[in-house]
Amino acid sequence: MSESSILIVHPDRKTQRVVQRILGATGYRVNIADDIEQAIRLIGHHAPVLVVVDGSVVLSDRAEAFFDAAEARGTEACMTLLGNMNADDVPKILMRGAVTNLLVHQMPTLAEELTITAHKLLRRDLFGLDKYLLWGVDPRTAELKQGSDRAGLVEQVANDLRSAGQSPRVSSMAMLVTDELLSNAVHNAPVDANGNHFRRDWPRDQEVQLLPNETVKLRWACDARYVAIEVNDSFGSLDRKTILHALGKNDVRESGGGAGMGLALTYRSCDHLVFNLSPGRKTEIIALIDVRQSPTERLPASSYNVFVER
Amino acid sequence: MTSGNRFRIEERGPAQVALIGVIDENADLTTLPAMAQRGMLQLDLGGVTFINSLGVRDWIRLQAAAQAARVSLELCNVAEPIIHQLNMIIATRGTAKVTSFFAPYACDNCGREDSLIVDAVAHAATLARGQAPAMVCKECGAAMAFNDFPERYLAFLQRD
Repeated sequence: MSESSILIVHPDRKTQRVVQRILGATGYRVNIADDIEQAIRLIGHHAPVLVVVDGSVVLSDRAEAFFDAAEARGTEACMTLLGNMNADDVPKILMRGAVTNLLVHQMPTLAEELTITAHKLLRRDLFGLDKYLLWGVDPRTAELKQGSDRAGLVEQVANDLRSAGQSPRVSSMAMLVTDELLSNAVHNAPVDANGNHFRRDWPRDQEVQLLPNETVKLRWACDARYVAIEVNDSFGSLDRKTILHALGKNDVRESGGGAGMGLALTYRSCDHLVFNLSPGRKTEIIALIDVRQSPTERLPASSYNVFVER
Repeated sequence: MTSGNRFRIEERGPAQVALIGVIDENADLTTLPAMAQRGMLQLDLGGVTFINSLGVRDWIRLQAAAQAARVSLELCNVAEPIIHQLNMIIATRGTAKVTSFFAPYACDNCGREDSLIVDAVAHAATLARGQAPAMVCKECGAAMAFNDFPERYLAFLQRD
């Protein structure tokens, strides 16, 4: 067993135990802190590879000192749980622009999200929607070679889900997510040798022929828990700052305009949005729509992860 | 009037048009204000199957153009994909008046899920209380439950 450790920072004893049981399965030693000061001391002693914190920690005055301490000791990532906070607090967390992994759901979904997130980080194996689906599910694959393929692919995903018995609401959300992610991969992802997004301002109603290295890959599947939609581009130009800015966009409710609106709408149309980034090589975005829950059981907030390959 | 094969505008009567299909970058909404008569235009949105972020941008421009031309928009049979945008992005609401809309209902008895039309004028008092009107299942006759949080789904009816 590795001597590496994981640190949980949470004021609630019951949540501490639940999270400890989930993360104990990784084989790593799990330490627990009740508050941020104790957490900073433990980071100094144990140099945890992962830190799991309650949302209240992120919003506290000492958050910066806490994150600085974790970074200085080489912590791979911090995962923030909504915990005892309200879903209405999510915009405040997003506005901080520093939280790369936010898990908003309660048990049992929390166990799935936490386990997968931890294993991806600890094993440094980030890519693929398969990690979010049950064993045996065979995702469908398609390639987008020109901009006008997008409409057909969106329709194909929707038809697939409808024929599998998914509700109009789910297929409608899947259509929006697929459309926005494909559009993002065609128009926003491509960069030239100088890093300029040369296609960002092209008229969207004109045909775009993609070169072989610009081909966009789409995969989708449903395992009766999630509809999972994955879009890949081979530019790797999307960065953490752009993502967090887009997710935190308050004005999606106000203006509906500006860069990043597609990502903001995608985030608000799924239950979990995952960004797997390999800078300069590949960007993969996975959207998960939970089909187990009726709309009245869905939280008005969604989880997200930003993983960066090292 | 068509844009590709995915979107079309159908004239249904004087100052009455239906938008049908996908509202995206290919759907030209700019011609709509000119179809108004006596400062009124009724848009039937029951046939809208999908709207993406670029369609939302053009929808907001339509609202602005209508206001600039002093055209009052009345939205009827508003489809669920449009309702979701009206709820997420306040600017999409403009000053348009919604007279009827589709809403999700589910039957606890037989499990049927439906998108049912709600008359916002006839049920104005109920909707003003933040409640969804009662509906009956077409399949088994049992009472259907509103299949979303009313305060979330009906937010577009609020005037800020």
